[in-house]
Amino acid sequence: MLNKEKEEKKAYRRFVIPSLVIFIFVMAFPIILSFILSLSNFSGGKMFGGSRWKITGLQNYSYLFSDSYFWNALLNNIYLVLISVFGQLPLGMILAYLIYRKTVKGGEFWQGILYVPSVISVIVIGIMWNLIFSPYGPVSQIINNINTTAFTKEVMAVLNGHLDFNGALVVNSSLIKDLVNINAQAASLLGDPVSVLTTFLKTSATGDLEETTRLLTNLLCPKWSASFLNEKGVAMLPILFVTLWCWTGMYLILFLANMQKIDPQTLDSAQIDGAKESTILRHIILPELSGVILNSAILCIAGSLSTFDLIYAMTGGGPARITQVLSIYMYEKAFTGTPNYPLSNAISIMMVVFSLVLIGITKAVQKRLEGDR
Amino acid sequence: MSTKSNKITGFWGNFGRTFAYIIMILFAFMAIAPVIWLIINSFKSTIEFQTDMVGMPNNWVVSNYAGAWKIGHFSILFVNSIIYTLFSVGIATILSLMTGFAFAKIKSKATKPIYSLLILGILLTTQTLMVPIFIQVSQLDMGLGQLFETLRICRASDFHLFYNSRFGVILVYIGSILPIGIYLSYEYIKGIPTEMVEASRIDGATYNLIFFKIILPMSKPIMITLFLLKIPQIWNEFALINIMVSKLNLQSLPLGIYKFSGTFATDYGKQFSALVIGLFPMLLFYVIFRKQITESIGEGAVKG
Repeated sequence: MLNKEKEEKKAYRRFVIPSLVIFIFVMAFPIILSFILSLSNFSGGKMFGGSRWKITGLQNYSYLFSDSYFWNALLNNIYLVLISVFGQLPLGMILAYLIYRKTVKGGEFWQGILYVPSVISVIVIGIMWNLIFSPYGPVSQIINNINTTAFTKEVMAVLNGHLDFNGALVVNSSLIKDLVNINAQAASLLGDPVSVLTTFLKTSATGDLEETTRLLTNLLCPKWSASFLNEKGVAMLPILFVTLWCWTGMYLILFLANMQKIDPQTLDSAQIDGAKESTILRHIILPELSGVILNSAILCIAGSLSTFDLIYAMTGGGPARITQVLSIYMYEKAFTGTPNYPLSNAISIMMVVFSLVLIGITKAVQKRLEGDR
Repeated sequence: MSTKSNKITGFWGNFGRTFAYIIMILFAFMAIAPVIWLIINSFKSTIEFQTDMVGMPNNWVVSNYAGAWKIGHFSILFVNSIIYTLFSVGIATILSLMTGFAFAKIKSKATKPIYSLLILGILLTTQTLMVPIFIQVSQLDMGLGQLFETLRICRASDFHLFYNSRFGVILVYIGSILPIGIYLSYEYIKGIPTEMVEASRIDGATYNLIFFKIILPMSKPIMITLFLLKIPQIWNEFALINIMVSKLNLQSLPLGIYKFSGTFATDYGKQFSALVIGLFPMLLFYVIFRKQITESIGEGAVKG
């Protein structure tokens, strides 16, 4: 008997220790190391036997709390959390619901397509969307094409209104006035629009009406450029959009799979009893999914707090650190320029703390939910 | 009774149905259009791309791919990515099942504290720890290298066990999979009747034998779930490999593509080809295993 117990213990160790050692190496010990370094003035080189370093206290944290870049990064993380929880989850839910209730047919087909962004490497996604949103990218091109078409029509209409009986253009002040009115702002950039346009029409635009239209459109059509995305306040928008784009499909699949686990008879009998669709949603489907929704929200928040790849590939935190999140700021402090390991580790520890607080809150919410039932 | 009620009717009438289709088409278009745009543009020359970024190519420049493949050293990247993914997911799955088995079927006071520690790792993503992990592995290499130099085994600067080594990358990846892997394995193996284990014990089977002959074959579903969830994740991983590896011949596909896009930012033809090469393997993986992946997400990703 004693022998058997011994073997049991041995087997337990054999099965658990390898995992535990790797876990400690990759997660537990780095956290401890990070905490120690965040309290130190370690500046690289050999930790033992190299340059001297010592524990200096909480000054890295106090620096961090007064650092506007830190708060900016945290704010961006919060934006990401908000768009994830209030964007990805509801959208995924709506799409899943439409498929589940067979409001749209061909559920498999839609699922298949909508999940595609989730399988692509985030690095590829980041570079791809960066190209799409770039000031010289396709979005600019499409919008400019639309603008040009619209302005060509307007210019054409104005010119057609000022033709004489032979079909030649009558250059007079009312024509100039009408042209300026198409886009007063662009015209004002010409300096003195009336004289510029008059000279232009009198000298270069003689016969060919189409050519004249093209040149005038070029002159008056506003040039749209996505460079406004470099400004504070809007620079995060493309990143938030792409975050939504990436993961909504995954939550669709997750919610749909769990909706399909609901006993169809419950729904059937509710419908036979004449329950309204909103009642079915509120009293059958949402309660059944509450656990999954909660879990998804937790994973969403945890993911958004530690997100790195997408922003690193899309903007690298730029321009001028506007789109930095905590992980990027941490990376910058450790790997670019002169490394500041203590500060970098302080950021790392702050991220761990946020996650732990989150886990605590979740556990509390979970307990309350379970208590209610 | 069920013949009539099986048919769930739509709820908003025709107008609502049309609206729902519009929403679906819009989202599906949004999901797939950028990818198609990327693929189409990978066949344009750089000059053609700059004049027309939206339309179809006039001449299909297939040589973009050959060029990108060669310049980007994609054969090295592919081999590395395959090695990293297979070894880390494979080993992590076995370790997860072993630990899950011990937790579920061998009584021990240690289970509860160890398990709760491991579970914390599900939300503490390893990306958060990339700086301390980097310091840890590089310091270990420096320290051990120094030791080996004094023992005259090799030069300190040549010594790479953790940093800039395949072993180090795989180790870190295994660590990042283990928490969720152990969680899923534990939950699953709990469901296997304990009587089966006990009966074999009475027959004199060792725990090793039980694990390999009973638990492992019965755990196929959870193994598949772990493979399908973790293979794409590890294949696409970037943050950790970015700090674990600096040598070209150790880079993975995402890392290689990131470096490529930095170096050849203006050579659009090749850059687009590189991006398509980068997204293709997992797209193919998804097309092949779509049904199973969809099921795995429902089963495994998050559970009450």
